[in-house]
Amino acid sequence: MTAIRYLRLALLLFAMIVLPSALSAHEAAMGVLEFREVRPGAFIGRWTMEPSIGAARVDLRVPSHCLLRLPEMNCGQKGLVGSITIGNLGSNMSVVLIKVIPITGEPRSYTISTANPVVSILGTGAPTLEAWIELAKVYVNYGIDHILLGADHLLFVLGLIWIVGGGWRLVKTITAFTIGHSASLAAAAFGLIGVPERPLNACIALSIAFVGVEIVKQQRGETGLTARHPWAVAFTFGLVHGIGFAGALAGLGLERRLLPAALLFFNVGVEIGQLAFVLLVLALIWAHRRLDAALPRWGEALPAYVIGSVSMFWFFGRIARVFAAI
Amino acid sequence: MCPRIVRSLPAAIVAFVLAQPAFAHEQAGVAGGLVSGLLHPATGIDHLIAMVAVGIWGAQLGAPAIWVLPITFPLVMAVGGVLGIMRVPLPMPEVAIALSALILGVAVASRLRLPFAAAAAIVAVFAIFHGHAHGAELPGSANPLAYGVGFVTATGLLHLCGIAIGTLTRWPAGERIIQGLGAGIAGLGCYFLAQGLGAIA
Amino acid sequence: MTSNFRCGLISAAMLLIHANAAEAHIVAARLGDFYTGALHPLTDVQDIVLWIAMGVLAGSLGSTKGRWLILVFPLGLLAGSALGHRFGVASTGLADAAMMLALGLMLAAAARIPTSLLCPLAFGLAVIRGAANGVDLGPETDRLLFATGLVCMGYVVMTLTMALTLAFRSTAPDGSASWRTIAIRALGGWIAAIGLMMAGLVLAS
Repeated sequence: MTAIRYLRLALLLFAMIVLPSALSAHEAAMGVLEFREVRPGAFIGRWTMEPSIGAARVDLRVPSHCLLRLPEMNCGQKGLVGSITIGNLGSNMSVVLIKVIPITGEPRSYTISTANPVVSILGTGAPTLEAWIELAKVYVNYGIDHILLGADHLLFVLGLIWIVGGGWRLVKTITAFTIGHSASLAAAAFGLIGVPERPLNACIALSIAFVGVEIVKQQRGETGLTARHPWAVAFTFGLVHGIGFAGALAGLGLERRLLPAALLFFNVGVEIGQLAFVLLVLALIWAHRRLDAALPRWGEALPAYVIGSVSMFWFFGRIARVFAAI
Repeated sequence: MCPRIVRSLPAAIVAFVLAQPAFAHEQAGVAGGLVSGLLHPATGIDHLIAMVAVGIWGAQLGAPAIWVLPITFPLVMAVGGVLGIMRVPLPMPEVAIALSALILGVAVASRLRLPFAAAAAIVAVFAIFHGHAHGAELPGSANPLAYGVGFVTATGLLHLCGIAIGTLTRWPAGERIIQGLGAGIAGLGCYFLAQGLGAIA
Repeated sequence: MTSNFRCGLISAAMLLIHANAAEAHIVAARLGDFYTGALHPLTDVQDIVLWIAMGVLAGSLGSTKGRWLILVFPLGLLAGSALGHRFGVASTGLADAAMMLALGLMLAAAARIPTSLLCPLAFGLAVIRGAANGVDLGPETDRLLFATGLVCMGYVVMTLTMALTLAFRSTAPDGSASWRTIAIRALGGWIAAIGLMMAGLVLAS
């Protein structure tokens, strides 16, 4: 009996360790392209890591004043300023890192990804208005994508709405969550705090499980911590989730002087996505009331258990990854 | 041989090549169909005034007509539309449409009170002619369904306009304005009728 | 004459199919297959018209009948995408048009449809549309995620449409034939008209 149970546990752990690594193997579909400035405005481009589809098939588009004929690129007087994009990003080539090494000044790198298909290169001078707009567009979109794809963040927000209900309390709670994650996102992005990614993700999963437990408590008539001080709970866990958001910005190889602006725009994007989600949930709650379509008595606790189970599933998966890394 | 195939071949090739990266394209298909459908009733003044006149007359007739009209008119028009799609020829469509504007304009101007059945029959006949003209254009549009949605919506909105204008009948001054409008519509109908018959080049 | 407009139709269809695939691809690359599935029906006029017609019809029948669709419609979409994947789908043009015509007529006539008819109707529609939505998927698409997105969108659209219809209709103080009821019935007339013309188009070609 016990042997079988251990076997099952071992199999489960094995699957959890193998699955993430199988997933990350998929991410090898990236490429690294290096542009080294040899004369002012003239670059030599070289793939230091070819994407799996082959360098020749990458549809690289450079600013219109630049003449690209790999390995040479000539941008003339204006220098390499403007947006670079890749036309055929997709599942077989999802990320391309572009490194620019100028004659004077430090090298910079830019990441073109499916979430962020256009990068703008600002040159060495002061950024123009166009560059700012470009930056805003890219990072607001990136923020929206990040929150919409972050099922864990959305599930946490859903749990908060479930406990708090509508009205002013919800506005305050969501604001507290926003302040919390903005603060820690900024702190993490500027390097003030550093938390290893894997344990952090496990923590995020636990925060959702906590909310699930609070919902069950509330349904049993007990007043949990969240029901009493929703903004305090939202703020605290907001801090945790914010560090998680920062992980998404860290991989982009951002220029130091652009970081504050990029951070701001990214955060705006996250808020837009979060607000849209909250409004959607509130609209659905309203619709259910209107249709008298509440869950039957026996099923009332179901959502809480679903939230709890999903988050615990994530938690175990992420803990397994923590140990796999050691 | 179909000369259109030769003519549309370059377009099809271009579409094929462009559609791969361009995400705006499909939108252009749907939006293009929708916009052309929406604008189609508006581009022909004869259609436009006749639709508004139908709405006004319905409002003037009151109780049953005012609500039967917006529900059934699109359906009857769709019957005409199907005839148009199937290329069933109707006699002198241009003349009939101009005539519809003239007759409806006169009805509005003179506050003609026909029995409901008679009014419905008149409107239905004209609805078929209007629908036929729209339907004939439908298969050629970029997205036929979007075109259909567009032109049904536009027609409905024109009726709504007419009904809204028709509510002016509650006030005596409004009544005068409406009769004036009816006379104007009848006049325009006359002009289009003359054009359709070939009296004016 | 007929070959003339068949040419037009072919080129239009070609344009539509390719552009459709291209758009689905862009969304997939950006937000993954879940959102591709969720947004796919919104790129298609058939889905928009039919889903809204179904939701308005169910909503106009009142909450006791309509609320079944919160479950029935998404389940139908799920069944449809599974069936469509297994058996493949022939063109659904005529079925769509007939459905549009039927729903529109019922709405225009303000027919009191019993729940026992409404649910199978919604389920059938959902199966057809669920199957049609998964047709042009590439092999690299995660079908489970795509279907999940589609089902979620079906739930959201259906629930919101029904609730909005109910809210729109029932704000009238008296239950008599107010202009709001007429507006809903007129919408039915429009939808039926579109369906009739689409049926004509499919039969003519």
